[in-house]
Amino acid sequence: MEFRADEVDDLEDLFDNAPCGYIAAGADGRITKVNSTFCKWLGREKSTFIGHRFQDFLNIAGKIYYETHFAPLMRMQGYFNEVALDLVRDDGATLPVLVNAIERRDDAGNLRFIRITIFNASDRRRYERELLEARRAAEQANTELKELNRTLERRIAEAVEARIKSEQALHQSQKMEAVGQLTGGIAHDFNNMLAVVLSSLSLLEKRLANGEDVARFIAAAREGANRAADLTRRLLAYSRQQTLAPQPLNANQMVADMSELLRRTLGETVRLESVLAGGLWQIHADRNLLESAILNLAINARDAMPEGGRLTIETANCHLDETYSAEQAILPGQYVMVAVTDTGSGMPPEVMTKAFEPFFTTKGPGKGTGLGLSQVFGFVKQSGGHIKIYSEVGHGTTMKIYLPRLHQTAVAPKPLLIRSDVARTVSHEVILLVEDDAQVLSITAQMLHDLGYEVIEARNAEEALSALAAYPEIRLLFTDVVMPGMNGRRLADEARQRRPDLKVLFTTGYARNAIVHNGVLDPEVNLLQKPASAEMLAIKLREVLDGAP
Amino acid sequence: MDILRRNNVKTMGSGSRAMVFAHGFGCDQNMWRLVWPAFADGYRIVLFDHVGCGGSELSAYNPQKYASLDGYTDDIIAICRELGIVDGVFVGHSVSAMIGAIASRKAPDIFADLVMIGPSPRYIDDGEYIGGFSEGQIHELLDFLDANHMGWSQAMAPVIMGNPDRPELGEELTNSFCRTDPEIAKKFARVTFLSDNRNDLPAVKARCLVLQCSEDIIAPQAVGEYVAKQLPNSQFIILNATGHCPNLSAPEETISAMKAFLEGPPD
Repeated sequence: MEFRADEVDDLEDLFDNAPCGYIAAGADGRITKVNSTFCKWLGREKSTFIGHRFQDFLNIAGKIYYETHFAPLMRMQGYFNEVALDLVRDDGATLPVLVNAIERRDDAGNLRFIRITIFNASDRRRYERELLEARRAAEQANTELKELNRTLERRIAEAVEARIKSEQALHQSQKMEAVGQLTGGIAHDFNNMLAVVLSSLSLLEKRLANGEDVARFIAAAREGANRAADLTRRLLAYSRQQTLAPQPLNANQMVADMSELLRRTLGETVRLESVLAGGLWQIHADRNLLESAILNLAINARDAMPEGGRLTIETANCHLDETYSAEQAILPGQYVMVAVTDTGSGMPPEVMTKAFEPFFTTKGPGKGTGLGLSQVFGFVKQSGGHIKIYSEVGHGTTMKIYLPRLHQTAVAPKPLLIRSDVARTVSHEVILLVEDDAQVLSITAQMLHDLGYEVIEARNAEEALSALAAYPEIRLLFTDVVMPGMNGRRLADEARQRRPDLKVLFTTGYARNAIVHNGVLDPEVNLLQKPASAEMLAIKLREVLDGAP
Repeated sequence: MDILRRNNVKTMGSGSRAMVFAHGFGCDQNMWRLVWPAFADGYRIVLFDHVGCGGSELSAYNPQKYASLDGYTDDIIAICRELGIVDGVFVGHSVSAMIGAIASRKAPDIFADLVMIGPSPRYIDDGEYIGGFSEGQIHELLDFLDANHMGWSQAMAPVIMGNPDRPELGEELTNSFCRTDPEIAKKFARVTFLSDNRNDLPAVKARCLVLQCSEDIIAPQAVGEYVAKQLPNSQFIILNATGHCPNLSAPEETISAMKAFLEGPPD
């Protein structure tokens, strides 16, 4: 190709003044031509480049990398592109550049020259540094954030764990406090009752020796023992271990039946009102205990209104939803509410939280047992229900009892006919008495004799079975439930195998056992709760003996 | 572990005597593409990549093991044991020339002849000893690597780095030979340029050929002369080739020098 002179000038100008550096080097790598742009960048005369190699103008790292990496690369692939290197200016400063290089070969494949193109990369290198710095900062921030998250999670977990531990400790100490209070209360009350019994007995002993009248002391001792029996009954109620005899009930009917009793209990200054819901659902509960609970609440209400006031008994159908039930740890569903509201002094929150604890009372010494509300609480819980206090100091208190709805159609129970003369019935029927405690065995035998029964005593199931075989005239097996070896329930089953017509009456002081499950009597089981009076024993025996086999 | 796969070992040729080629810092077994075919008729050719270079398994890179040249030496000994090589020829370029010397000291039975191309037992000057670089210059090199700017990474970044699932992209990269992991290359540079293996040289029992390039700034002539002098049994040849890679820039001259050494009478 031929160029005119002006074209050559133009190309020379383009080569010299293009915005990039150009270098041509021979096959041996020595520079033959360099443009003005490159010379200006490095601050050197053209002549100082000729005969040298490109790598001679690189910094030390560039020299090493050129020799170890880029020179071999160009030999192998004939070029290299966009390699970042630093050139050293005449004044010693470095110039960041991007370098492309390519080998030019003739038709025979012989290397003619090497063309090297250099771009000024000062700006680009600065951006890269900023970018790398930003990336490093972002990575560090990310790392710190992750660490912070980890720390936070760990701290939350630790805080939660510490909170749970302190709550458990608090709960435990509260429990211990309650147990202490309970134990102390029982000991105190029992001592008082025993004091009555013991002092009556010692007086009895003296008076008997002198041949004086002793009826007063016998009555006092009985009173003390009865109060002790009452205390244990209340304690069992609180511990939800009393024996329940639930029956279908209409709470409205029950409240109406109680109105006379309540009016008498409340006295003249307290007005009684009933707000009874129409269409109230049936419940399934122990009637006596529910009555006693309502009475208990009414007495508390009365005591909160010494100046008089109004007591309202209200019934309603209620649905306790999932959220509320979960909070209160009860089953959600349909309940019948019986609420007792007074216009009395109300309770501060710290009293409300302790109101159900046994032996906790706000009444003066000698006025309250501290067991009334805990007994109500125990009964309601044992019946699958729920009790809640709403109270404002100076305005009054509402106690709400919730008992589960009974879904089956209720059948009104037959009223129990108690003939007042049964206790005195004299019969010579034969009773097999089984009791492992020798003293109880002896006293009970004496009571049975007094009631006119013939008694055969046995101290355990084995003796009982032998007696049963020896005395075919035995009509009734009267046995304790909890005994070492074969228990009362198994003994009764065994005896019935041999004597299907045999009547059975169980007795126990403790409800959680073979015949009482979750506090509810097995059907068709006759049970006399210990301790029982002679009257109760007489009535129960006649009931069993005269009932169906 | 499969040692041969770890180091991307290739064996070729029809001879019974083994000739093991070891590449230096900055490339991989491609370094030898113009040299090994000349020996394929007479030798069993063994090519490999150091761990961290070329087609080696990057996952096998263990910073502790490769913190000195001993780690690389042990790899070569393991490869040769695996291949059952005895009395072979070792051809090492640049830093691998020293790796060959250490291997020869550690396992003298493997190599009877060593060919060292551009060897340097120490790059930094030390009193009377001329290594070619001042301590400051070598630290300038290491600082430059630590700056890790993008142009460098882009130029040398291997396929394996960015797109392990699309290896075809590697072929489109700017510079597709001598792929290297920039992070490993940085550590390899540190090990190479801070090494001092002068004490290994007198213990080498094998016959040695030192091939010295003209105008090699990595391994200047004074260094090559020092190496030849310290080796008990060596020949020293200065090539007309300039630079540091005569195996690429002047393969014929390199081959003929090697053949003259290998076929010449043992002295």
